[in-house]
Amino acid sequence: MAAEHGESPLHQFTIERLVPIHVGGLDLSYTNSALFMTIAVAAIAAFLLLSTSGARLVPTRWQSAAELSYEFIANMIRDNVGSAGRPYFPFVFSLFMFVLFGNVIGMIPYSFTYTSHIIVTFAMALFIFIGVTLIGLARHGLHFFSFFAPKGMPLALQLILIPIEVLSYVIRPMTLSVRLFANMMAGHTMLLIFSGFVVALGILGVFPLALNIFFILLELLVAVLQAYVFTILTCIYLNDAIHLH
Amino acid sequence: MSDHRTPEDLKSLRERLEKARRDRPQETADDGGNQRGALNSALSVGLRIGLELVVAVGFGTGLGWLIDKGLGSRPWAMLVGLLLGFAAGLLNVWRAMNGMGLAAGYHPAPPVADEDEEDQ
Repeated sequence: MAAEHGESPLHQFTIERLVPIHVGGLDLSYTNSALFMTIAVAAIAAFLLLSTSGARLVPTRWQSAAELSYEFIANMIRDNVGSAGRPYFPFVFSLFMFVLFGNVIGMIPYSFTYTSHIIVTFAMALFIFIGVTLIGLARHGLHFFSFFAPKGMPLALQLILIPIEVLSYVIRPMTLSVRLFANMMAGHTMLLIFSGFVVALGILGVFPLALNIFFILLELLVAVLQAYVFTILTCIYLNDAIHLH
Repeated sequence: MSDHRTPEDLKSLRERLEKARRDRPQETADDGGNQRGALNSALSVGLRIGLELVVAVGFGTGLGWLIDKGLGSRPWAMLVGLLLGFAAGLLNVWRAMNGMGLAAGYHPAPPVADEDEEDQ
């Protein structure tokens, strides 16, 4: 969130190649986005490993925080998927922590928010989509496709309804990724626009400054909330695949 | 739950803990969705629903446009895609509204999922 003069509010989303790597025709450079993903993963690992290293019966604050995040996801899976969703806990938990840390680390000034890039969120959403579809196919075989055919409909209606059902299923990764990306990008752009006003308005800049403090709090809420929404939708999709209706 | 003899205060603590644990699911079901700032939840629900519709229409139209481009059947596939996308979007909105109730219902999930036909 570099609030420098004359810089576009969208400049913060620029991808910079830190270590250019070109393999064949592919650009595999290590970018600032990748750097912050590495930081997030390192922070998650450090948080969970350090806080549980000296596990005690009466938890310390750090251990309590780690246990809370564990229980939060465990309850989410139990409530939304049931016991059949237990094998997928590691995936859902990693996903939640990755999105959460990405969002929250992005709130630190001068850092980079990798969840504000649609390609990142779309890659995650597509992975979830393919994974959930494969789980559904593996569990139910071809019966999985009855998912798209509403029961008890005349054939003429089925011809219209099945494409609609398929489309509404295929759209899932789009909405999942656009939601996270749009929230993060809009919030960060708004913060920077208002912080630009602070400088431009001189003494009157205290008003946008006060507003920005409020917005930063709001953005912190959005950062956590969007991580939650992303995860709970994953749970709901997983539930659909495991328990067909 | 064991039969160990515990000092009186420990026993009462355990009772209170168990009571709190029993009450918790209902509490979260009631408070989590509604009480935590009516504005926030209404806003996020509204944004979520709006996005659901917009993305569906956009995706349907885009898919139709691509099919048109491939087959040279302008503008028909795009129009069909627009309508299908709109229908799929509405379906998703309807499901999301129903599914949110289910998702935040905090019942043990399997019976809910099996009994309800329209769970999202």
